[in-house]
Amino acid sequence: MIALQHISKWVTNGGLRTFLLKDINLQIEEGEFVSIMGPSGSGKSTLLNVIGMLDDADEGEYNFLGQSIHTMKEKQRSQLYKAHIGFVFQAYHLIDELTVYENIETPLLYQDTKSAERKAMVGDMLDRFNIVGKKDLFPNQLSGGQQQLVGIARSLIASPKLLLADEPTGNLNSKQGEEIMDLFKQLNEEDGVTIIQVTHSEKNAAYGNRIINLLDGRIEHPR
Amino acid sequence: MLRNYLLTALRNIRRNASFSAINIAGLALGMTCSILILLWVQHEKSIDGFHENSDRLFQVYERQYHDGQIDAGYFTPGQLGEEMRKVLPAVEYGTNLAWEDKLTFQAGDKIIKQSGNHAGEDFFKMFSYPLIAGTPATALNSPVSIAISRKMANDFFGSPAKAMGQTLRFENRKDLKVTAVFENITDLSSIKFDYLINWQTFLENNQWAKDWGNNGPRTVIMLRKGTNPRTFEASIKKFLDGYNKEQSKKFYIEMGMQPYSETYLNSRFENGKMSGGRIEYARLFSLVAVFILVIACINFMNLTTARSVKRSREIGIRKVIGARRISLVGQFIGEAMVIATFAFILGFILVFLLLPAFNSITGKEIHIPVTDSAFWLCIVLLVVFTGFFSGSYPAFVLSAFQPVKVLKGTMKFSNKSILFRKGLVIFQFMLSVILIIGTIVVSKQVGYLQHRNLGYDRENVIYIPLEGVLPEKFPLFKEEILKQPGIAGVTRISGTITDISNGTGGVEWEGKDPNSMPMFTQAGVGYEFVKTMNLQLKAGRDFNKDFATDSSAYIINEAALKIMKLKNPVGSPITFWQNKGTIIGVLKDFHFQSLHEPIRPIIIRLMEKNGWGTALVRTKPGQTKQALAGIGEVCRTINPQFPFSYQFSDEEYQKLYKSEQVVDKLANCFAMLAIFISCLGLLGLAIFATLQRTKEIGIRKVLGASITSLFTMISKEFMLLVLIAFFVAAPLAWFALDNWLQQFAYRTEISAWIFLLAGFAAMFIALATVSYQAIKAALTNPVKSLKTE
Repeated sequence: MIALQHISKWVTNGGLRTFLLKDINLQIEEGEFVSIMGPSGSGKSTLLNVIGMLDDADEGEYNFLGQSIHTMKEKQRSQLYKAHIGFVFQAYHLIDELTVYENIETPLLYQDTKSAERKAMVGDMLDRFNIVGKKDLFPNQLSGGQQQLVGIARSLIASPKLLLADEPTGNLNSKQGEEIMDLFKQLNEEDGVTIIQVTHSEKNAAYGNRIINLLDGRIEHPR
Repeated sequence: MLRNYLLTALRNIRRNASFSAINIAGLALGMTCSILILLWVQHEKSIDGFHENSDRLFQVYERQYHDGQIDAGYFTPGQLGEEMRKVLPAVEYGTNLAWEDKLTFQAGDKIIKQSGNHAGEDFFKMFSYPLIAGTPATALNSPVSIAISRKMANDFFGSPAKAMGQTLRFENRKDLKVTAVFENITDLSSIKFDYLINWQTFLENNQWAKDWGNNGPRTVIMLRKGTNPRTFEASIKKFLDGYNKEQSKKFYIEMGMQPYSETYLNSRFENGKMSGGRIEYARLFSLVAVFILVIACINFMNLTTARSVKRSREIGIRKVIGARRISLVGQFIGEAMVIATFAFILGFILVFLLLPAFNSITGKEIHIPVTDSAFWLCIVLLVVFTGFFSGSYPAFVLSAFQPVKVLKGTMKFSNKSILFRKGLVIFQFMLSVILIIGTIVVSKQVGYLQHRNLGYDRENVIYIPLEGVLPEKFPLFKEEILKQPGIAGVTRISGTITDISNGTGGVEWEGKDPNSMPMFTQAGVGYEFVKTMNLQLKAGRDFNKDFATDSSAYIINEAALKIMKLKNPVGSPITFWQNKGTIIGVLKDFHFQSLHEPIRPIIIRLMEKNGWGTALVRTKPGQTKQALAGIGEVCRTINPQFPFSYQFSDEEYQKLYKSEQVVDKLANCFAMLAIFISCLGLLGLAIFATLQRTKEIGIRKVLGASITSLFTMISKEFMLLVLIAFFVAAPLAWFALDNWLQQFAYRTEISAWIFLLAGFAAMFIALATVSYQAIKAALTNPVKSLKTE
């Protein structure tokens, strides 16, 4: 599904290149649940952003579902990730001015889904996450765990093949975190969603079926 | 999708109430201004446009060629209108018009002064003044006809229906018959009248007007359908040659014409050519409207982009979950439209509330034309333009944010966009400073007009029209008045001293160049004119009844002397309108017209026994009240058929500058508004700047910066912007105002202090606006500001 070859990304500072990612080679198949680990500044989020097409690599090749992303135009790329990728953030990133229902609905608006269809899809999602009763509340009326739940619901509304999560439990207490991780596992196993998560916690990483360790922009291969 | 945007917009407005309030208030004020000005300009432009035959109505004007110059104006011979209709097949109707006159009418025991005019019998066939009683064909068709307004009919007879066929005694001299009643004249007509008397009566009372060599009345003609105005105008160029035989190489007249509906806005001639008039104020204020709207829109841009730090996260999220840039642009412009709509509603309410005050300043009766679809179209355009214009910049800036950076919180505004925003503030303040300087200069000029030494003392002078038996009994009248308390002197003049404008070329003297025919202004006055008006004699003496020869004596002014080039003017022979006489005095130059005009050569003759004119009564300072009571008593005794009426000289003088005073007041209001709106914008920017620098300020404080130094640091930046704005604005303002002042022959100077004052005012106001934010930021506990990181 995802194939990164010799991916590098750097910033130039005073003529000196500082590598954020260096020569990353990575293969991820459909249905995998991958955890990316590493200390602060090791490039975890950057790698996730490159995979999520929010950021460009400076060098290397990236193939997603057999299409080479690095040669694609911005528009095609956004078309592609809109259809196939969902994002979950540490800080939830819900739109404060919209209700739970509207937040979940928004991606569908950008994909020009019809109104009746939208209603059905959002309804299903609310059901599935047991948040029907909260659909008219605004994000600031919800607990962190509930907000993240809405964030995940929103990321899944367009039925993506790939879910990218950047420290999804970072702002949650351990109980809420566990619930979220259970949910991920369930999504991965029952719905076949490919998941890549960035995490600091060994425990959460263990939910996945593969762990990638990053250090200073390189993948550390297990010895 | 639209619903989603609208909801976000509305919730955003509500959530950031204070910010939205600033935003909406600024835009609303801008719109209020624009709408008011729009209404005013529209009203000015619609004046005289209501006549159905508007496209065929033309006002005839004269161009007089003499001494290498061309004097043009609407003055024509008194029978031109009718004559043109008689001899020119292309002219369907023609009429002459005199001037607005306040004259006395009597019906039964009711004696009332009314103001009105004289016109030819075609008048109501040409113009669309609605008749309540009578028909256009018969409204003015006999020498004793008079048409009166609904108001005048009510005043005299109780109702328009009762007025028809009734007799009105006019100036206790002639009985007129009411042949029509017309609806009261609205402010959409440039000529105002409560009565119109048949032209024959005018000619009877003004024999001079029958002479084709004299001019004064206006002439309006209506062309037949299908006549090409241009070729027609060319054909009447020499029309007067067949009537006025006094023309020669050194003095000749050409005729021209102008669409009647344009005469209100374009009535100034410069060397024989049309050169604007009121239209310039309409244009000027349209420009001011655009200025103010742009200032308000810039405000909006600044405030919105400033707040985008808060909005950026939302933009990032929307992008990550699939929003294309175009849909974000749409969202922000849509939001701007929503705000513009709110602003419009508020602005419209303000217009509604302010309209009475606005009307009293402008002297109009403007209504909101709620039934006019064109007006609403303009409003919709205004709202759409405002929304689009003010929303466009933020929309494109905000939609260009990169989601990764925004969501990580590492986003910073590029220098370019900060520079652009600063540029906007400079532009805003530049417009404001121009308006401030403009206001000061206009006020200064109006003050100058009011206080300039005219060469005579216009304080404490009362005008009393000489009517009824007063002209013939003037010596008695004068004698009686002088017996009253508080009277310093009495004399008379043929018109009024504030506006003498009768021109003539009929002056001969020894040594006059036979090829030139300079124009003199002429006036007839009474004994002791110079003394009563406190005029200054350069040489010679005043008219005096002890000199029997004074009936052929003349007084001239310095300007006349300059043209005549006489070595010893006093005692020199002079011939005026074929009457030989002597110059007895030379006056120092004084202003007898508005200060728009230069002081022209004037020749003054004695007309103590003239059949009409104005008595000039000088009262002793502070005794006007007693004096008026005495004068009233005298008038009522000698002239019982006429109600006592009078005017104050200085009030008449003020009337000459009515439009300048309106401009002065309007400019004041608009400049203040512009500054206020600009300050709202500055406030927004200050909030933004301090928000962005919270951390920096915190660190500086921890390192030991004093509150004063922090305050200076924050304010300095804004002061610099205002300073730059000032330096851009100053030359532009100077240029524009110098241009405006050119229309006055006598004008104030644009001195340096005006610029300094405007600059300091702008700086001070800006500083006051910014300082609250600056102080707040400087006082913030650094622990708080640094913890947020």
